[in-house]
Amino acid sequence: MFGLPLAFAAPMVLTALALLPALYLLLRITPPRPRQVAFPPLRLILDLPPREETPARTPWWLLLLRLAIAALVILAMAGPIWNPLPPGEGGRGPLLLIVDDGWPAAPTWSQRIQAASERAQTAGRDGRTTGLLVMSEGGRDVLLADAGKTLERLRALKPAPFIPDRLVALPALQKFLSANKEAEIVWLSDSLENSNGRAFAQSLRAAAGDNAIHALMQDKPALAIAGAENGAGALDVRVIRAKAEGPSQGLLRALDMKGVAIGDARFDLGAARDVKARFDLPMELRNEIARVEIVDEHSAGAVTLLDERWKRRRVGVVSGASADTSQPLLSPSYYLVRALTPFAEVREPRAGKADPILAMLDDGVSVLALADVGVITGPARDRLIKFVEEGGVLLRFAGTRLAASSDDLTPVRLRRGGRVLGGSLSWDTPKRLAPFERESPFYGLGISDEITVTRQVLAEPEAGLPAKTWAALADGTPLITAGRRGKGMIVLVHVTADTTWSNLPLSGLFVDLLRRTIAIASESGAGATAGDPANAAAQRIESVAPTRTLDGFGVLGAPPLSARPIPVNYAGGASADHPPGFYGPADALTAVNALTLDAQLNPVDLTGLKLMVDPLQKAEPLDLRPALVSLALALLIADALASLWLAGAFKRGWSRPAAVGALVLLLAGFAQMAPQPAQAQTAPAQTAPINPRDRDAALQTRLAYIVTGDGRVDEASQLGLSALSRALGARTSLAPGEPIGIDPARDELAFYPLIYWPIVADRPLPSAEAVTRISNYMKNGGTVLFDTRDALTARSGGESSPEQLWLRKLLANVDVPELEPVPRDHVLTKTFYLLDSFVGRTTIGQMWIEALPPEAERANRPVRSGDNVSPILITSNDLAGAWAVSRNGEPMYPLTPGTGRQREMALRAGVNIVIYTLTGNYKADQVHVRDLLERLAH
Amino acid sequence: MVDARLLDPSERAAEARHQRGALDLARRLPALLVAAREVAATVMHGVHGRKRAGVGETFWQFRPFVWGESTTRIDWRRSARDDRVYVREREWEAAHTVWVWMDRSPSMAYVSTLAMQPKVDRALVLGLAIADLLVRGGERVGMPGLTRALATRGIVERFAQVLIEDERRNGDTPAELPPAQALAPRTQAVLIGDFLSTPDDIRTTIHAMASRGALGHVVMIADPVEETFPFTGHTEFLDVDSSARLRVGEAESFRADYIARLAAHRDSMREACLSRGWSFAVHRTDRPAAQALLALRMRLEAGQGAA
Repeated sequence: MFGLPLAFAAPMVLTALALLPALYLLLRITPPRPRQVAFPPLRLILDLPPREETPARTPWWLLLLRLAIAALVILAMAGPIWNPLPPGEGGRGPLLLIVDDGWPAAPTWSQRIQAASERAQTAGRDGRTTGLLVMSEGGRDVLLADAGKTLERLRALKPAPFIPDRLVALPALQKFLSANKEAEIVWLSDSLENSNGRAFAQSLRAAAGDNAIHALMQDKPALAIAGAENGAGALDVRVIRAKAEGPSQGLLRALDMKGVAIGDARFDLGAARDVKARFDLPMELRNEIARVEIVDEHSAGAVTLLDERWKRRRVGVVSGASADTSQPLLSPSYYLVRALTPFAEVREPRAGKADPILAMLDDGVSVLALADVGVITGPARDRLIKFVEEGGVLLRFAGTRLAASSDDLTPVRLRRGGRVLGGSLSWDTPKRLAPFERESPFYGLGISDEITVTRQVLAEPEAGLPAKTWAALADGTPLITAGRRGKGMIVLVHVTADTTWSNLPLSGLFVDLLRRTIAIASESGAGATAGDPANAAAQRIESVAPTRTLDGFGVLGAPPLSARPIPVNYAGGASADHPPGFYGPADALTAVNALTLDAQLNPVDLTGLKLMVDPLQKAEPLDLRPALVSLALALLIADALASLWLAGAFKRGWSRPAAVGALVLLLAGFAQMAPQPAQAQTAPAQTAPINPRDRDAALQTRLAYIVTGDGRVDEASQLGLSALSRALGARTSLAPGEPIGIDPARDELAFYPLIYWPIVADRPLPSAEAVTRISNYMKNGGTVLFDTRDALTARSGGESSPEQLWLRKLLANVDVPELEPVPRDHVLTKTFYLLDSFVGRTTIGQMWIEALPPEAERANRPVRSGDNVSPILITSNDLAGAWAVSRNGEPMYPLTPGTGRQREMALRAGVNIVIYTLTGNYKADQVHVRDLLERLAH
Repeated sequence: MVDARLLDPSERAAEARHQRGALDLARRLPALLVAAREVAATVMHGVHGRKRAGVGETFWQFRPFVWGESTTRIDWRRSARDDRVYVREREWEAAHTVWVWMDRSPSMAYVSTLAMQPKVDRALVLGLAIADLLVRGGERVGMPGLTRALATRGIVERFAQVLIEDERRNGDTPAELPPAQALAPRTQAVLIGDFLSTPDDIRTTIHAMASRGALGHVVMIADPVEETFPFTGHTEFLDVDSSARLRVGEAESFRADYIARLAAHRDSMREACLSRGWSFAVHRTDRPAAQALLALRMRLEAGQGAA
């Protein structure tokens, strides 16, 4: 109408507009209510004749307002529609609707169905029947039905999750068209050439003769994801579209198996037809991704599913060394992680995990790297053996702990102690690597001369040793050995994973060695590892049944009945028989996607076929009635307000604020009509309540002792540590709180820098769990001071005292580093006082501490220290007994031999130990102050 | 534009509120009482001596005791000074009776934005103030039809109570004019109201009241709006006492007529007053009450002199 896309449902009502002039006159002569004024002396003039009774006219603007209201109401009654539907083309024969229902149609599905429904309704109004040809239903015959039935069918239609082949539908189409010569044909196309778009169009043209064919093309090309690649640094996802038009930017979302969003990635197609979007996420997160989808593009093609094949191999790294996050370069796992990360997903146990090896195995790693883990006992050992026999690969690195222990989880038998090359006690120079043998899996890797080995563990020479050797030193001693066990393999590198024994971990060769090892791990033997169950499953079965499949909108659901199992290693795209989705058992899913990695979407070319091409929908028909009615209502309110104002209603009674308030309320009422978006509620995070004892311990540094259960010993510990705390408070800047007795099985140990553990031989050993916690505490930087208190009874070289046996039993399941008596130049002797020995109630006992690394060449330093604080100190001098004083300040226990300064020296020993645990090797640096100052002076 | 309004019945009837509690002299009347006192304080009214011996409080003269007189009248203190016996005589002080009538009809409950006070408030203030003034000057004051002539000190409170009683008994439609009863000679009447009744009624009332020779003073209270008629445009006027209403297309065209009518009305009133020797004054509520009170007091003085 008037060139505008405007139509009226009831145009006759518009004739009422002719009444507007009459309304104009009527309104003009009925002015608004006059202002009313009370006037007491009215009687005086009541009898005056009406002089000029012609009333004031209705103000022009009020007149206009009212006319506008009337006009609006009339227009609204006429049912105006913006962008009305085109009227039916009025073919004489039945209507044939051809619906492309592959996934490219899914994003515009509702419009599609609506367009089809409207056409069917129009045809129904003209008394014509409708035939419906759905592409995915293939060659089924087209049946004519009335509009109601067709609508019902249309509403029940769902897009298929694949692109159906159009040519399959041709026979049915030709049959229908030959029976109904005058059919009007409407093809709701998805605008894609994929699956023979043009060929179908040509056949359609040929079959239809001269009949008009309307092709409704969707103007916005569908976006799709063609495959994803989990690269070294990121997950690359390829986004494609048929035509370089329409919105080019979008958002990709990665979700895990449970549907939780992991990350978003933007993509911008620009003027291109495909682009790669990149999920820059940590590998752990990338491996969790099970599904990537284009946000707000609801189709099966906009979803790609990822299975195990996209995951990166998991390597667990467990280090036997104490964790010290402030000095990562000293940790073997640092080098391992750095070397493994480019090609594998590296898992490390979280700090404080009870048993890291078990944790790693629970994590489902396929390769477990153990760096200098000495003893593996208990359930961890059983699990580890099972792991290897079921196909896992155990990659071990040597170290002081491994050198000191015996273990059967090695490919070769080891000599205890190993050998040191190039040290001060050795004639040998550091060794270099020999070239790799042809049989070695490392054959072909280049060897740098810079790689030297200063220390290694040695294999016992035995019959099969050369066969097990993968790499050797120049003198023929094996450096890397490997042996099969069950389906799996154990690989041992005879040096440490850090740089203390060799600079191999610093070389590029290290990365290559690890890469080959892990590649072998996945290929070799059974070819499958515990971490890769998909392949394991593939070994046994030929085909896998669909588990959950995508529908056309890209929603996972139960597979349709028509879905068939896929053969193992199925690499193709989705089809009618194999809808996209996950196939196989839940723990070994195989993903089938709508589009393969190299897929393309091409626009269909319909030139020269004399098809009437229309966009799917020009614009949404918009019913203007609600807008007009609300406008009229608003004007009506304005009119009422204006009338009231003219009658003087706001002069009194209605103060201005009240009027404004009423207006605001009115507007708020209108605003309320807008739908409110649903608001998600976030549940408050739950945190476990904190034990008040732990909180106190965390707030103040305090010494702790293990409650043995022996009353006298515990009292001595309590009083001794109290006295030591007081001495610390008085002499040093440390002001510890009152010492606390703890039970390793029950209490959290992490808050205490030093735990004093007096050994009482007749007490039962702590539970395995408690020992694990102690072990963890030591690994995570804590220090335990064991006091056997048996200096008088134990004889060196003689039989072990009961306390020593008890301690040995306790530590059997703890990863204890190599120990040595405290050297005279150890930093422990210099942290606060300069001490020669660490005396307690007795003086003859020896203090043991973690062995320091071998002395460096330039050994002119007055003090030596390790890289971290020793996790363990063992003494036999009964320190607490010497410290303990009673409430009134008198010593509790006699000393042996009890010379004058012995008690003071015992306290000094205690001060040094505490300061050592708190400051570490800081004093070792302090002794260089003089040198440093001299150097600075120059 | 000037706006005017009628007071609500609750606002107008000071008394209606007093129906709710004996002590509830709360809102307007107490304020009016204070105002009345304040206004009265500015206008002092002296007791007027008769310049001869008689009943009074002021000393007049000592005179020798006459045989046969009551001995209680002997002033012993003076008599002790010599051998003769004296009697203390006081000056004769005679009190006048003044009847004060205040209009409380619905038309009085009217206030415009130009006025300082509603007309009824102004009438009450004036009436109570003159009553207070007169009582303090030794006169007796009453309200016609409501009280007898009183000379109590708390005359204002007393009047207020009586007004409340009256409202309670007779509802809130008091008469527009005072009871047309003849007043005793040598009394004076003070009539305060808007006197918008028909001139004949007013004349009849005044003549009736003055029929025995009483003098009177009429104070006509007017809202400024009632004098200037500042209305324009399409307006509907509502009467206060009756349901009469007048719709006027252009109010400004009525101004001249109205002012002429008003002048005529006042002329007839003045004429009715003067014919009986009464005084007549117009008081507008946009002027201070003290002004009217002073004029009223002077006329009362003059009236007394005439008596």
